Amino acid sequence: MDWESWVVSTLNRALAYGTPLLWGTLGEIYAERAGVVNLGVEGMMILGAFSAFAVAQSVGDPWLGLLAAAVVGAGAALIHALFTVTLRANQYVSGLALTIFGLGFSGLLGARWVGIPLANPLPKLTVPGLSQLPVLGPALFQNQSYLTYIGLFLAVVLWLVLYKTRWGIVIRSVGESPATADALGVNVFLVRYLCLAFGGAMAGVAGGFLSVEYRPAWTEGMTAGTGWIVIALTIFAAWNPLRAVWGVLLFSGLYHLAYRLQAWFPPEFLKLMPYAFAILVLAIAGLRGARQLAPGALGIPYTRGEK
Amino acid sequence: MRRLGPLAFERRLTPSRPAVLGVSLLAILAALGTMSIIFAAYGVPPLRAYAVIIKGTLGTRFGLMEVLRRTIPLLLCGVGLVLAFRSKFWNIGAEGQLLAGAVAAAGVALFTDLPPPLLLPAMFGAGFLAGAIWGMVPALLKVRLGVNDVISTLMLNYVMIYIVEWLIHGPWKGPTMRGFAYTDTFPRAAWLPLIPRSMVHWPTLAVGVGAAILVALLLSRTRLGYELRVSGESPDAAHYAGISFLKVSLVVMFLSGGLAGLAGVGEVAGIHHKLLPPIQISLGYGYTAIIVAWLARGSPLAAVVTALLFGFIFAAGDEMKVTLQMPFQVVGVFSGLILFFLIGVELLMYWRVRFLPKGEGWTGKAGS
Amino acid sequence: MRKAIIGAVLVVMAGLLVGAQEEIVAGFIYVGPIGDLGWTYAHDYARRLVDEEFDWLTTMYVESVAEGQEGAIIDRLVAQGCNVIFTTSFGFMDGTIEAAARHPDVIFGHCSGFKRAPNSMSYMADFYQVYYLNGLMAGALTETGKVGYVGAFPIPELKRHINAFTIGVKEVNPEAEVHVRWIYSWYDPGAAKEATEALIAEGCDVFAFTEDSPTVIQVAAEHALPSFAHYSPMLEFAPEYVVSGQLVHWEAIYRDFLLKVHQGIYTTTNLQHVDYWWTLPQGAVELGADFGVAINPVWEDELKAYVIQHPVFGDISVYDLVFIRLSQFADPGITFDPFQGPLYDRKGNLVVPEGMWLSYESLITMEWAVDGVVGPWPGEPEG
Repeated sequence: MDWESWVVSTLNRALAYGTPLLWGTLGEIYAERAGVVNLGVEGMMILGAFSAFAVAQSVGDPWLGLLAAAVVGAGAALIHALFTVTLRANQYVSGLALTIFGLGFSGLLGARWVGIPLANPLPKLTVPGLSQLPVLGPALFQNQSYLTYIGLFLAVVLWLVLYKTRWGIVIRSVGESPATADALGVNVFLVRYLCLAFGGAMAGVAGGFLSVEYRPAWTEGMTAGTGWIVIALTIFAAWNPLRAVWGVLLFSGLYHLAYRLQAWFPPEFLKLMPYAFAILVLAIAGLRGARQLAPGALGIPYTRGEK
Repeated sequence: MRRLGPLAFERRLTPSRPAVLGVSLLAILAALGTMSIIFAAYGVPPLRAYAVIIKGTLGTRFGLMEVLRRTIPLLLCGVGLVLAFRSKFWNIGAEGQLLAGAVAAAGVALFTDLPPPLLLPAMFGAGFLAGAIWGMVPALLKVRLGVNDVISTLMLNYVMIYIVEWLIHGPWKGPTMRGFAYTDTFPRAAWLPLIPRSMVHWPTLAVGVGAAILVALLLSRTRLGYELRVSGESPDAAHYAGISFLKVSLVVMFLSGGLAGLAGVGEVAGIHHKLLPPIQISLGYGYTAIIVAWLARGSPLAAVVTALLFGFIFAAGDEMKVTLQMPFQVVGVFSGLILFFLIGVELLMYWRVRFLPKGEGWTGKAGS
Repeated sequence: MRKAIIGAVLVVMAGLLVGAQEEIVAGFIYVGPIGDLGWTYAHDYARRLVDEEFDWLTTMYVESVAEGQEGAIIDRLVAQGCNVIFTTSFGFMDGTIEAAARHPDVIFGHCSGFKRAPNSMSYMADFYQVYYLNGLMAGALTETGKVGYVGAFPIPELKRHINAFTIGVKEVNPEAEVHVRWIYSWYDPGAAKEATEALIAEGCDVFAFTEDSPTVIQVAAEHALPSFAHYSPMLEFAPEYVVSGQLVHWEAIYRDFLLKVHQGIYTTTNLQHVDYWWTLPQGAVELGADFGVAINPVWEDELKAYVIQHPVFGDISVYDLVFIRLSQFADPGITFDPFQGPLYDRKGNLVVPEGMWLSYESLITMEWAVDGVVGPWPGEPEG
């Protein structure tokens, strides 16, 4: 086995397996940047996976399926927004409820779609020209998903928006210090609603990717914990869209390697590494004195003009 | 104060106990009402569904015992989490701490030669310690390095899950299990006694109730409880009062993790009698306990009630699956709805409604 | 004399009538969701078949029951009037035996375990012969000489299947290897996909698996590689690339057992030694990726063109070899078994001597890896 095959397969699989993680993480980063934790990612993803499959199968167009997933994901996130932003409920509990509900509800609705392959899965993309490059061609530009490239592009755009535009300042200020933002005339509630809905739409597409492209079929609980990995990656990435790309690649690269290295390492250890890594990264950041990574008002409901 | 016809609404800073109870009951009723749609969609007349559920959980001795059995791990984890949440330590890691307790108990049961009377106490002790240690790691990380507690506790759940997986596939795989991923069955002396004609391992239940009372006393009657409350409610005040965050966090997580560890001991010594895949040891008890603790609003004694509520929901889920022959996902939808309604009405508890005919009732209090 | 005979017959008939269950209410306890398209789906499919077939039979089911909870669920089913209860996971074994003692008037069946009681039998539909047949085809189809196998857990059942599969591969292609990866889950599409991709990166070009979803065949098809389906009809998930596979007919066992309970042959007192270990001859399993399609016609020509020199049958195509073996398996006289000596494990030890077959006991406790298996093999005997 030559080194080339290891590089190619690891990168190629890291991108493919990482795509739903990237979409979900980018969405959750925006929600948390606005100050709201949404532990309902798994629930929004599974609802997205189901609706993408059902629509794609009924209409025959996987893109419409993904659109439906985005809408459903955003809708589910709005429930969370209603509870946590308007009704100021505990964000962790509301998110857990969304996950429990989403897993159950998608299973109920999806019962009659089990065991049917998707007729028109999302086509794969091989980039002309670039795919002919040695090593990098097969690693990055052959048989990838459109969503992989869109996701990477979005990571850059979302980074620019967050750090280089007025919108970004608004979102970050809402997450850091909503009272100050409010005093400056920012509609804190609206920003939080929009960021949560955006995060939900991204999670919906992440789930949709699983059912119309990654494994074009619907089965009960097919997200299999991906949503929780997204939550870990959000923190691992220190709420930064570009760092999310590296975090996702590291995580999914390790996940793939767990199967290539199985003969030498117990797979359980490779599988627990990303989680241990997430803690380690935060601990190292802490050692360096960088304690203020998290948005200041993360997890705290905002109450206008009251104390 | 706001008025709506003859009704006056007043905002209060802390909800009164009747308000909490009344509004919560309303929420549960509303959730049940919404469930009717789903029952009807599956061709089950909603009233019959409710009758069946009540009868199968609260209406028979067996049903009651099932509620109790499901309550045990939720109670132990829940009381520990109440304590953590009171000091504003967001322990999402009860699941991992529970598993740590299960592992330690299994280790003692399988690999020590303790005389039978000492075996179970040793298992409880080891389980408590393992959960406590697993809980103190994120406390240290938080106080010393500023590592977010939600994340570290959540991540440690996964680390523990894979440790259990590794143990049962690797070094602890039982020779008598024909290659399946389980440890061997514990010796009989390591089995918890049950209430006759039930599957309720009563020692764990007793420990849980005792823990609720002790933690309540700790919070209200001791210097430590005072320090813990102050550092949760007002970190600045705690700082000036010379309270050590490190000490408080470590003690809180020692107890919180330890109690979750005891829940793990109960599950393996009371029900499974072996170590098995983590998703079979705990049916998400550590996560459900977050909700149990949150609903208890900081009161360890209230956690007894909320743990019973979720014990009821688990048992009701079995009843829906068996007697009503509904798909298992109904259970998730049912718990999700109850939760949504419970958190949705939370704000209502802060309003006091009074009947005040027009012209009266200008009490002069500042409205909001 | 004649009177005595009539009397005896009457006594026997009366006994039958007394022991017989006029109406059977059978409860099925599943470890997974019925929508898993795998293990639980297949049991539930069989449940619906027998439910329709017998008008004296009513069935109930409970899905997604965690291990350790089966005792309570059994008690609830008994309260609902079930007089026969099937539990379909190895992890339910102890709970089932305990419940059988609690409910001596109820008949139990536990699937995939080894403990029994006077009112609790054990049953299993095993695939090892079918895996061997799939191995023959896989050996003929691999060009790289590497066949990939994605396994759920390293337990004797899977080891037996992978070994039988490998014996088939090596019979037609002695140089070929079977590369194994474990995903440590019965159902995890993501893990199954990445394990398959890892095997593809290692050079494998034909796939078989044990996991409750059609993931492996979908991934193989994406790479235009052939694969073998597992458990449920999965042909339509990759009609061009699925060659064959294993199908289960749990209804064969359920039908036989329930009928015998109905007729009073099996009662609450005589099940201590009733162990269904049903394979091809009893119709509990079938070769193919869809019912009635043993080999996908798309692949017939290629299998017919692959001709080997067989020590017993001389020059023969793999296609013909598969059907000869299939008829041998179907023969109740038993004329062939994949685990037929001499067999060496991959460490070079002789595990089955010349002229010997493995006992049932050795089959169900198998831990060694046959020569030709490559990859991790937890629990492999030392030496």
